[in-house]
Amino acid sequence: MNATTVETLESLRKKAKDTAEPRQLSDDERLQRAKDAFLANLDSEMATHLESCIHCGMCAEACHYQIGTQDPRYTPIHKVEPLKRFYRREVDPLRWLRRLWTPKLTLEDLEAWKPLVYDGCSQCGRCSILCPMGIHIQQLIYVTRTGMAAAGLAPDELQGPTDEQLRENTLFGAGSEQLKEKVEELRGKGYDVPLDKDKADVLVLSTSHDLIGDSGTLEATVKVLNHTGVDWTIRSDAFESSNYGFLSGDKAAKKKISERIINAAIDVGAERVIISECGHAYPTLRWEAANLHQKALPFDVQSISEFLAAELESGRLKLNKDAGGNRTWAYHDSCKMGRLGGAIEEPRAVLRAMGIEINEMESHGRTNLCCGGGGGVIMMPSAQELRRKAFTLKREDVDNTGATDVAVSCGGCRTTLETGKAETNWNINIHSLVEMVADRLAS
Amino acid sequence: MLGNMPEKQTLGEILEQQGVSRRGFMKFCATITSMMALPPSMVSAVAQSLENAKRPSVIWLPFQECTGCTESFTRSHSPTIEGLIFNSISLDYHHTLQAAAGHAAEDAKHQAMEANKGEYLLLVDGSIPVGNPGYSCIAGMSNEDQLMEAAEGAAAIVSIGTCAAFGGIPKAKPNPTGAVAVRDLIKDKPIINVSGCPPIPMVITGVLTHFLTFGSLPELDHEGRPVAFFGQTIHDRCYRRTFYDRGLFAESFDDEGAKKGWCLYKLGCKAPTTYNACATVKWNQGTSFPIESGHPCLGCSEPDFWDKGGFYEPLSATAFGPTSALLAAGAAGAALGAASAYAARRKQKKAQESQT
Amino acid sequence: MTLLDFARGPGFQIALVILLVGIVWRILGAVAIRFSKDLTKPRGGKQSIRGGLKAILTYSAPPHELEKNIKFQHYTGYAWHIGLFVVIFLFGPHVFFFENILGFGWPHLPNAVIMVTGIVTMGILVTLLIRRMIHPVLKVLNNADDYIAWTVTFLPLLTGTLAFYHLGARYETLLALHILSIELLMIYIPFSKLMHMFMVWPSRFRTGSDFSRRGVEA
Repeated sequence: MNATTVETLESLRKKAKDTAEPRQLSDDERLQRAKDAFLANLDSEMATHLESCIHCGMCAEACHYQIGTQDPRYTPIHKVEPLKRFYRREVDPLRWLRRLWTPKLTLEDLEAWKPLVYDGCSQCGRCSILCPMGIHIQQLIYVTRTGMAAAGLAPDELQGPTDEQLRENTLFGAGSEQLKEKVEELRGKGYDVPLDKDKADVLVLSTSHDLIGDSGTLEATVKVLNHTGVDWTIRSDAFESSNYGFLSGDKAAKKKISERIINAAIDVGAERVIISECGHAYPTLRWEAANLHQKALPFDVQSISEFLAAELESGRLKLNKDAGGNRTWAYHDSCKMGRLGGAIEEPRAVLRAMGIEINEMESHGRTNLCCGGGGGVIMMPSAQELRRKAFTLKREDVDNTGATDVAVSCGGCRTTLETGKAETNWNINIHSLVEMVADRLAS
Repeated sequence: MLGNMPEKQTLGEILEQQGVSRRGFMKFCATITSMMALPPSMVSAVAQSLENAKRPSVIWLPFQECTGCTESFTRSHSPTIEGLIFNSISLDYHHTLQAAAGHAAEDAKHQAMEANKGEYLLLVDGSIPVGNPGYSCIAGMSNEDQLMEAAEGAAAIVSIGTCAAFGGIPKAKPNPTGAVAVRDLIKDKPIINVSGCPPIPMVITGVLTHFLTFGSLPELDHEGRPVAFFGQTIHDRCYRRTFYDRGLFAESFDDEGAKKGWCLYKLGCKAPTTYNACATVKWNQGTSFPIESGHPCLGCSEPDFWDKGGFYEPLSATAFGPTSALLAAGAAGAALGAASAYAARRKQKKAQESQT
Repeated sequence: MTLLDFARGPGFQIALVILLVGIVWRILGAVAIRFSKDLTKPRGGKQSIRGGLKAILTYSAPPHELEKNIKFQHYTGYAWHIGLFVVIFLFGPHVFFFENILGFGWPHLPNAVIMVTGIVTMGILVTLLIRRMIHPVLKVLNNADDYIAWTVTFLPLLTGTLAFYHLGARYETLLALHILSIELLMIYIPFSKLMHMFMVWPSRFRTGSDFSRRGVEA
């Protein structure tokens, strides 16, 4: 990855903000939409969570933003307050009683909570692991965001790309055109790239983020897929794994955007859909899409690390064991693919297959510390100070392993870590897993 | 009455006549002084007062009673000093003990009341049936009327036994006779409640002695009982207290723990909430008391002790009502919960439909 | 009717009815709202029920890397709960109370052990109350329920200790206050965060099974 990342990000943020469509809604309409979204998305599981909070405050110790800033307003369950208040007055079994003393939810409340729920939450889910009452706080914050987005309160930098994806099927101006250009470039290098095949077993997803940032991820992905010999394709009209509907909380958009990929996968008759190195794309497709569309998906969804691990087992992927050179390695789990996705063992299996022994960070796997940039945080200028504070924790965790090199399998994490590295002059090398594999393919 | 004692003879003269030695008399005074929680310096004052005490007139009215109070009092100690004290009052009216009967007895009563107006002691045992006076009458006169008539000229009233003091067994649910206590009817005379079912004999003697000595009522507790005898609970003075503290309880009658003399709390002992002198003064000249004999305290000196939830239920047991009420409560909760959830679901469905 | 008679009789019956109605209402009213069915394919088959059950236990022990700064709260929190249960369920007269209801009892501890446990439990509760009032995170979260729940939990311990030692008033008054304080607690439970004693189980279960079906250990 090149050093223009930071500049690229700044221009992307500006671009994102500019594409946001203004929403002509009265204040009453905004509030009503938020309330309807809350009503529609609350379910019995969330009700048991909202009934269980005992105000112990332990969740504050799981949140990298709270720990990094020591600002108690970032206490995870506090972020849920608008939803809780709504629940108490509208859904709670004792609501007729509670209305006597619970204040009504106002638009001002939602606006006040906007920075807590967007800037101050990367949707990492670490709080859900710690809460002694087993409250899935991340999920509750997620629903709070859904309400905010329905009220038109999602940050412009997140709503903009959502609107663009929905309207144009492009992201930051990059779409099928840019993919085709990239494919031509790769073909020029001698790669066989099966673009827009009619039928294939495997549908591969990339992301405009990688195209714009000119990372080597797509090239590595192509190289690895061809090495395994699987029957795959990439569709120029449905290659974007990123779903800004997830990040903004715009549920309707999220559903429509994911529909493109599902239709394409069905169209090509794919058995598997592979997401190459995007974080939030994974839980959106793997763990939400079927529910959004109220139908089980007729194909498997795999992150690239799962695909690589599966191919290692099947024997189709053969790697050179070079033990990562004479370096000390660590692995940074992506929250979305690890804790919230379930792909924790697979990247480790892939690293082991390359002969790399990693030093696990104190918080790893299901307890890993977020890079600080997920959930859309990396995209918002207002959130960068927070992100920097959270980053110090991550950096400490990595440094404590003595690592000189850290592997990641998520484009968002990679961007965030690279940004942090540039900002703090961190002396470490950051590697993409698929690129590492592409470099070690045994012939 | 018992013996033909001249009215104006003093107690001291009577005791001398009866052959009670000076030493014996002083021993009794010392005992009764300490029983009444008076300082040792009072012994001679008590002795002097008793010696010179004129025989007061005493009227005993029995109402709805079982005669247990009289039995306990008169039979358990004859002949003893207490009995002699009792003899030396002028017991001008007592159904069980008097020789006279019928109109003669009633006339004797009225004569005594007239002659000693304002000065006689009225002792009452048994509760008074207010619901239907027909349940207990004497010589055609209801208990209530008798009480009101006799109370008018009395210096003080002593309610002997829990029935007179608080209503006792006749008042227990459902109280078919409409039984009430003396204090429920008499509001304008000093009343000393000597409760217990029956009361400890020494307690009655102590009260009378106090009255004879000082001409006034002893200090009374919140239920009108002499503090000297009712100031502490049985639990406070129980010799088995150490087993309570250590948590060693008899589980059933005659089990290992019972045989070892462990605490009877689990078997329903009401000692912690019962005020009386049983644990110190005991019964039958200090022979024993119920707990010492292996039976839990019934709480018989307390008001409404028959209706406190069972003699064999421990104090910690609570009445949780009929099971049907609890099942109904559960069903009501379920109905309300279901209604609430149904209403919420409908709202949610509507909201979902509004989401594009 | 004396205060003690009321506490041991109608008072308890009323409190028990309110408790029962409230608990069932609140639990059913919460778990019976819209249920979302998960149509995604679970990782590795149907482990989510096992995962949910496992979570009921494992959420009591947070991973050590997450609880570095909350060890004090975590341990004292458990300590006073355990102390409270020891006092409630292992004190002789309380065992007799339950035996009266259930028809069977169990062994109890010596009263001195119970009294010490009770006093230590109260000490911890007071400490945690002070913590609640000064800790920056808790100050943001605190509401009236937190303070009232503390009070109605503390009062039975306090009145029980006073009753046992006959301190402050006549025994029957102290015993009545003790039983009434428990009735107050019973009435308060359905309307407060104290319902967590029931809700924590489905809450842990659902989160555990959510994570488990995604292939993440509970």
